[in-house]
Amino acid sequence: MCIGEPMDPHTKRENEYGTLTDSKYLHQVTTMDSEMASRRPIIDTPPYYITLMTYLNYLILIILGHIRDFFGIRFQQKSHRDIMEYNGYAPWYSKFESFYVRRLKMRIDDCFARPTTGVPGRFITCVERLSHNHNEIHTFPGNTQTCLNLSSYNYLGFAESEGECTSAALKAVEKYGVQSGGPRTQIGTSDLQIQTERMIADFVGKEDAMIFSMGYSTNANFFNAFLDSKCLVISDELNHTSIRTGVRLSGAAVRTFKHGDMDLLEKLIRDQIVMGQPKTNRPWKKILLCVEGLYSMEGTLCNLPKLIELKKKYKCYLFVDEAHSIGAMGPTGRGVCEIFGVDPKDVDILMGTFTKSFGAAGGYIACDKWVIDRLRLDMTTPNYSEPTPPPVLAQIIASLETIIGKINPGEGTERLQRIAFNSRYLRLGLQRLGFIVYGNADSPVIPMLLYCPSKMPAFSRMMLQRRIAVVVVAYPATPLIESRVRFCMSSSLTKEDIDYLLRHVSEVGEKLFLKLNSGKSSYDNSIQRWDIEDVIKYTPEDCKNNKFFVN
Amino acid sequence: MSDITSGHMAVPTAIPIPSVIIATSSAAWFYLHQGLSKLPGGHHVISYIEKATQDDPYRTAVEASLILYGIYYYLSKPQQKKGLQSNRPNLSKQEIDSLIDEWEPEPIVIPPINDKETQETYWRLSKIPIIENHGISKYIDFTRDDNKESFENVLNLASNNFLSLSETEEVLQVAKDTIKNYGVGACGPAGFYGNQDVHYNLEYTLAEFFGTESCCLYGQDFAVSSSVIPAFTKRGDVIVADDQVSLAVQNALQLSRSTVYYFQHNNMESLEELLEQLNDQERKENLPAIPRKFIVTEGLFHNSGDVAPLPQLVELKRKYKYRLFVDETLSLGVLGNTGRGLPEQFNLDRSTSIDITVGSMATAFGSSGGFVLGDTFMSEYQHIGSNAYCFSASLPAYTTTVVDKILHIMDNDNSTVLNLQKLSRTMFHFFNSRVQLNEYFNITSSEFSPVLHLELKESKRIERFGYSKDTLFTELANLQKRKISDVFIEPFENEEIFLQQIVDSILVNHNILISRHTIVLKQETLPIVPSLRISCTASMTEDELLTACENIITTINKLCTA
Ligand SMILES: Cc1ncc(COP(=O)(O)O)c(C=O)c1O
Repeated sequence: MCIGEPMDPHTKRENEYGTLTDSKYLHQVTTMDSEMASRRPIIDTPPYYITLMTYLNYLILIILGHIRDFFGIRFQQKSHRDIMEYNGYAPWYSKFESFYVRRLKMRIDDCFARPTTGVPGRFITCVERLSHNHNEIHTFPGNTQTCLNLSSYNYLGFAESEGECTSAALKAVEKYGVQSGGPRTQIGTSDLQIQTERMIADFVGKEDAMIFSMGYSTNANFFNAFLDSKCLVISDELNHTSIRTGVRLSGAAVRTFKHGDMDLLEKLIRDQIVMGQPKTNRPWKKILLCVEGLYSMEGTLCNLPKLIELKKKYKCYLFVDEAHSIGAMGPTGRGVCEIFGVDPKDVDILMGTFTKSFGAAGGYIACDKWVIDRLRLDMTTPNYSEPTPPPVLAQIIASLETIIGKINPGEGTERLQRIAFNSRYLRLGLQRLGFIVYGNADSPVIPMLLYCPSKMPAFSRMMLQRRIAVVVVAYPATPLIESRVRFCMSSSLTKEDIDYLLRHVSEVGEKLFLKLNSGKSSYDNSIQRWDIEDVIKYTPEDCKNNKFFVN
Repeated sequence: MSDITSGHMAVPTAIPIPSVIIATSSAAWFYLHQGLSKLPGGHHVISYIEKATQDDPYRTAVEASLILYGIYYYLSKPQQKKGLQSNRPNLSKQEIDSLIDEWEPEPIVIPPINDKETQETYWRLSKIPIIENHGISKYIDFTRDDNKESFENVLNLASNNFLSLSETEEVLQVAKDTIKNYGVGACGPAGFYGNQDVHYNLEYTLAEFFGTESCCLYGQDFAVSSSVIPAFTKRGDVIVADDQVSLAVQNALQLSRSTVYYFQHNNMESLEELLEQLNDQERKENLPAIPRKFIVTEGLFHNSGDVAPLPQLVELKRKYKYRLFVDETLSLGVLGNTGRGLPEQFNLDRSTSIDITVGSMATAFGSSGGFVLGDTFMSEYQHIGSNAYCFSASLPAYTTTVVDKILHIMDNDNSTVLNLQKLSRTMFHFFNSRVQLNEYFNITSSEFSPVLHLELKESKRIERFGYSKDTLFTELANLQKRKISDVFIEPFENEEIFLQQIVDSILVNHNILISRHTIVLKQETLPIVPSLRISCTASMTEDELLTACENIITTINKLCTA
């Protein structure tokens, strides 16, 4: 594998960020009105036989897996060494725990962790990979394939090797180097860091912010700074692993509520305030509500207005992880607060990452100044871990400045309007073709349901043959039967790219019997089975109209 | 219930049955008979009951009561469960509302109370140097305390980029070339197209350089341990850890769910004794399967600069069949003739001596991120089972090519590593030979460590601040037992302030930046006391370093005798 051969600059640019083909293909998002904000998502469900087939599919896979384990351990000890005791040592992982991975995921491992090279922009260059022993070992024949990229979290298209952001990063390498010295409190703070913190705080509308070099670790090492076992965390059941790890590390008690169910949440809060800590029944010291702004597997938003109402009513604190929504959503990219038109000051802690919309790396936490000051003293990350390196900071600053219009005025707005249009177009298009799609109208994450686990590799491979890179996800990231493909939209795609995508998804969907839409979640409550040409003809205009979206 | 509706059933006469029972059971049977005969397949049940009653009416009675009890048990279970869950008295709605109204949470974090206290607790923030307009290098310009203080051309003895190789032009060129081809961010986790060829290449290069089968990259060094250990441990597994491991490892142990035992810092007798005990215990318990067992320690200790005695550890781990986990965040690139870390220092082979090595690319290698070295099974499993790997975006491409380049440089030419080791030794012996300094301070680090830790002598600590390591730890343990997490211990705070005065005085008088060992007391779960840390980097000359050391010692002596 090597760095891609030189390409002529225009092609290279187009491959990373397609030029807008027509100003029709833009959409300005507006703040939701209260009617829309209070809508409950309507989830479409597949016919019963699909559910049944899915379970059957798993059953067969599991039975076959157990048979293979049974004989494998007896007759092929060498290749099962990883799950057997060896030489007095326990195996690294148990047979039972690793069953799902070894026997189910391994078979379709070619659909995951596909190696790539170059910029993950409008197109992504996948490195070809072969396996002759069921994905245990891959060989690389050295070819690459350029695929349409619907897999990277490159929401605003800032993954670029040219342009303002890249030159800012290059300048930072020259001026600041690449090393970061040591922990923030020891030596690792530079003026770039202060500047980034200032900018992100202003951007999200909080007094102060703190930045970290990894989004996962931002969450994983956050909660132990201010929670202990006498505090309670009420957490959405679908929260990201980083949040759960962080809460576990803090030792706080955790209660979860069903994803997005505000009535259950209210009941839970009331119960918990009345009952207090288990055994002692003393009141909780603090109650923290933890939610994500945009759920990356569902495409759904948290119900922020209701959460704020509850938080105020019951004196709880509110933590919102905006990893996927910051930059990508809202009229000016300021995330869920802006979509719902709520004051960011009403959310106690806003967290987000720079890995997604900003094309950089790391995470931030934004709060009131007095809270941040305290956290700087009490959090482990600034005192023990590496800070964000200068080129990444430069990328964050430049992309933020582009979004707010300080660099290249107009470009940021165009990026925002493009992702809004693209997301809506693809979402409505898929729905009209007859697929079951989850999530909010403006969400750049568009999950499309496949159900049967065996359709995942089929879909992923067929799309790869058609030069489209997609992400398929299954249990444990989703409920068991709701295997899905997740399209991540990007501003870098043109309307024509989405046409191409729709045509192929439609074709593949027909073959794989994926058009299962029952009309339950479509605007007119009728089964949708549009012809692809009609979809391409009418959807670009229709998708700008809210009336075609129920969620 | 012995019964009679169909006259031909015989009732044993030896036991008289009260007529009430006979009457009610007849009635029950009558209705049951009627109901059942209407159901499809009901007649099978009827004929079964009839037949059974004829053979043995008491059996029917027992069966019927069992069924009734089953129904009763089933119905009563939810109530029982509720009873277990809450012993809440039956409250009326008003009572609940008033309870909810009354509840006052604590502030989200401890608020600053007044100006004086604010100063007392927040002095640490005003001491953070903010480097202006250039990167980390040998000489730095910085400001502190909101631009109130500013310093220029200060000799930097506080950095962790020991080798300083990533400052060189050729390495920076690599970084720029990569950014020009890959941009900055990878925009996705490894599983979802975030794994670029450069990541694969670096994993391969690192594994080859350090002589292990495989490697796995992480986004941040601090997050590595706390993700690797929990990926492989579960309830019932055993971890034996050094009692001075750094906070990153402490977090990992806390998340591991396993039973954790501690042995005395670097004390192999203590370790062997513990392993022997555990061995006995295991033999007694006679478990169905062997639990996973780990010895956990650090290469160069973060808190003291000590080196772990690897040969003895390896011997013990082999004898007792433990796996050895070593956090080499500070020792890779530093120890060993060619910078290959702890095993090289002791002429051992990494792949056969250490099972899990955690390394950092942000310390000696001067880039960002962390990694884990080990055998293929282990590395592959991390790719699917380690949270910080699976649920976090891949590193920016340029960070990997930078490390790749640095490894190549180190492979071809180990002079930088040797130079660093020479400086470390010089620094250590220079401090160690000073009698007056040694009256006040212990040097806890080894001569191989580029970070020199100066810890106040216990007697001086008692004399000056009125507390000792032991009293501090008892106090902390007490707080922990009472589950109080807001820790403020005044004597400890005073010592930290004193150390900061030393740092400030060295800075103001000699233009040299050293630092306190920055720890967060409330997060530490193992005994720890404040210390000063002075770190040298390979970019310094011996003269520069020695002059600086002389100045540092003079200042310390002056402040300690004052
Ligand atoms: C909700 C949420 N929080 C945190 C993260 C972690 O961010 P990073 O990839 O920067 O480590 C993610 C990334 O997937 C996420 O989805």
